[in-house]
Amino acid sequence: MPGLFEGFFSRHRKGATLAILVLASFLCLLVSNRSVVIKPKEIGLSVAGFFQKGFTGVFAWFGDTAGSIRKLRAARDELNAARDRLQDMDQVTRENLELRRQNDALKSQLDFAQTLSPDRIAAEVVAWDTDNLFSTITINKGSRAGVKKDMVVVAWQGDIEGLVGKVLLVGPGSSEVLPLYDPQCWVSARVDTSRDEGLVQGEGKDRGTILMSYVKKTAKDKIAYGDLIVTSGLGGLYSKGINIGRIREIAAPPYESSLELQVEPIVQFERLEYLFLIPAEPAITVPAATPQAAGKK
Amino acid sequence: MNKELRVTIFTIIAMVICILLQSTILQKIALGGVRPDLALLVLIFVSMRRGSMVGQVSGFATGFLEDLMNVSPLGFHSLLRTVMGFLYGLLSGNVFVDPFLMPIVLAVVATILKGILSGIVSALFGITASGFITFAGRLWIEAGYNGVIAPFLFALLNLFKVFKQADKEGT
Repeated sequence: MPGLFEGFFSRHRKGATLAILVLASFLCLLVSNRSVVIKPKEIGLSVAGFFQKGFTGVFAWFGDTAGSIRKLRAARDELNAARDRLQDMDQVTRENLELRRQNDALKSQLDFAQTLSPDRIAAEVVAWDTDNLFSTITINKGSRAGVKKDMVVVAWQGDIEGLVGKVLLVGPGSSEVLPLYDPQCWVSARVDTSRDEGLVQGEGKDRGTILMSYVKKTAKDKIAYGDLIVTSGLGGLYSKGINIGRIREIAAPPYESSLELQVEPIVQFERLEYLFLIPAEPAITVPAATPQAAGKK
Repeated sequence: MNKELRVTIFTIIAMVICILLQSTILQKIALGGVRPDLALLVLIFVSMRRGSMVGQVSGFATGFLEDLMNVSPLGFHSLLRTVMGFLYGLLSGNVFVDPFLMPIVLAVVATILKGILSGIVSALFGITASGFITFAGRLWIEAGYNGVIAPFLFALLNLFKVFKQADKEGT
């Protein structure tokens, strides 16, 4: 029997090795990936859906290209109009910066100056994901430096602090950060000016755009191109008021009950070098009523 | 040391160097966050030169290492690279690889194949892989990038004696 097995293996060495390696990979995937969905119906749907998405994507690409030519013409006219508006905006921005400076000075005089939390951990970006399939950032601090899973990651670029993402995996000397543009990164957010809330999620297409959805359609008249998006503090992970990005496009699809805002992140991920890690906000819990408390009432 | 084993070890070393480059320095030349997959190019080059056995074993080993380094579930990259190594190894000795055109074709096809395979594995196992929303722009950028780099990388790898074509596969 062992001879038979050896004979078979030597005759089909390549195929047998392939089968073993593929089986080993499958086993690893089954063990390491808890959300395994191997069910016949779902497999059929998934595989069919995969090819359907492919076809739709290819046709959409041709459609978009033709549409882009038309849009380019319209964009040329809009560009001229926007240039005029931009000059006015520049003036407003300068005034705004001046007001902020004055505001900061006044706050510090009143002892309300915001200082960096001592809990913050500074870290350096040492690597990115090894290929283009997943999007994580590796930093040079791990559990030895006090890094914990789900810590909020921010970065300063220019004069402004922006959200980068959250800590996903922690090793002893390094950690993996899930960036904002990853589709698995969800952040509850709000439009800073109108205070309308929504959810920000990466699209996985590129690092320069993220999507804010679930914004009420009634907010359409109150929000505008360039408005700042900040964290809302809901969900108990990201503290309130961290800058996320600025609105670049407002869409109101007729088939959706909410707006879809294309947001340009404050942080330019290509330029990331140093990051700050902030402890996650403790989840807000309602204390249970105790008999003593009830008695006091 | 067995010649096949020696080639496999060299291939793994070359691919690991490429993986480290991809995750660090190549970030500087990323187009829209997309970097070339040098490790994939090394894998298809060696598989075509030395056959399926070397290709699939080195693909599995480096893929497994990538899975340990990334947030991808264990087995994801190892499966992709094993299959890619095996498939390209089947072409060994059957396809004439000229210095310019074939490397481009092989690299572009390999990237698209990787995209399709990763899409299927992601769908089967419910994995959210951000990069390849299959047939989206990033896949094409990487395919183009790999295609441009392939002739130069193949020419460089040609200089290494260890990767010279085997007279007969497995020998």
